[in-house]
Amino acid sequence: MDVFISALSSLVQGFASLTWQSAIMVLLGCVLLYLGVARKFEPLLLVPIGFGVILGNLPLAGLSTHDEGGIMNLLYTSGILTQLFPCLMFLGLGAMIDFGPMLGNPRVLIFGAAGQFGIFLTLLLALQLGFVRQEAVSIAIIGACDGPTAIYVTTKYARELLPAVSIAAYSYMSLVPIIQPPIMRALTTKKERAILMEPGEKKVSQRVKILFPLVTGIVTILIAPMGAPLMGMLMLGNFMRESGVLERLVDVSESTLTNIVTLFLGLCIGASMLGGNFLRWQTILVFILGLVAIALDTVTGVLLGKLMMVITKGKINPLIGAAGTSAFPMSARVVQKEGQKANPRSFLLFHAVGANAGGQIGSVMAAAVMLAIMSGMGIAPLP
Amino acid sequence: MKDWAFGLTMTVMGMGVTFITLYLLTLLIRLLIRLFPRKEEEESKG
Repeated sequence: MDVFISALSSLVQGFASLTWQSAIMVLLGCVLLYLGVARKFEPLLLVPIGFGVILGNLPLAGLSTHDEGGIMNLLYTSGILTQLFPCLMFLGLGAMIDFGPMLGNPRVLIFGAAGQFGIFLTLLLALQLGFVRQEAVSIAIIGACDGPTAIYVTTKYARELLPAVSIAAYSYMSLVPIIQPPIMRALTTKKERAILMEPGEKKVSQRVKILFPLVTGIVTILIAPMGAPLMGMLMLGNFMRESGVLERLVDVSESTLTNIVTLFLGLCIGASMLGGNFLRWQTILVFILGLVAIALDTVTGVLLGKLMMVITKGKINPLIGAAGTSAFPMSARVVQKEGQKANPRSFLLFHAVGANAGGQIGSVMAAAVMLAIMSGMGIAPLP
Repeated sequence: MKDWAFGLTMTVMGMGVTFITLYLLTLLIRLLIRLFPRKEEEESKG
């Protein structure tokens, strides 16, 4: 009878160890799966994250990133803490991005800088709300609208915020079509939004396309070496793409490799979202500040667009500025859609894609500069 | 250093360097385009 009772107690041990926080997180995981599968809302990310949340929060399973020796811990320590996954994501991204529209109209690159202003304004806000500097920097980087960059910075300075920051960064990236249009409409008149820009793509030579990633990589890494892993991988991916001799590697980088890393990244993020460290007020604040950051990016981008419109005497549609974030290519699509709503003859996509590609470079630059300044101030990254 | 000063330093330096770097890149792109203009065969290829 004793053997029967002890066997039975070992079978119910899992249920007995379930805390209310774990139960809520398991439910949250189910909600994420529902959103990903039934609503098709970023399924590539939400399904691995949702499943990771469930696995990580089931007691005694040993599948949270905190369980040493477990498979999630192995993925987390080897892929996230070493920065391997964000860097591999950037390799794939570089292989996917066509910088051609930006090279054909280089002045739109400057929008990529304006689209990062929200990062710094949010940093000020986060500091005022009482977050310590390392946390404030990690929260502000959500404004980069770029998941891998957010993970890269947060892993260096505030690992306890990693689940909230990465979820916020990826969620808001996909919510760009909902966040940006009201801000764009509020800051511009219909007449401004209806401005027609020169149609057609100004093409550049293949040599320029090949040399651009090489030159950009060298210059930006010399300026801000702290961002070298991200910028280096982004530019390597793009160099492989444009060289035209590495089709197999480009194919693997932009599809298989990116898909595998996305799966592991999602699982790790999910499995690091434990009830104890996720269910707190700080997480809500991180989400609010992340939203503010992306909204401010859009505001400053559109305002620079208005300034450029005045300087060029109406040749630039100010909506282009909203594409300066690195939510690629969502922001560019939003600009195109809003432009066509105001003027059905308008075709802003080519210009917006250029600004959006500039935003990709701008976000890494902004992150690299932040890391460099932190390092210069003696704030060392976590070991 | 107070948090406010830290935030302002970060904002001014961060935005300043990002803007300058991207402006520098636009100049470099223009230079590359001038050094390696599109050839006729590339034009005909589309």
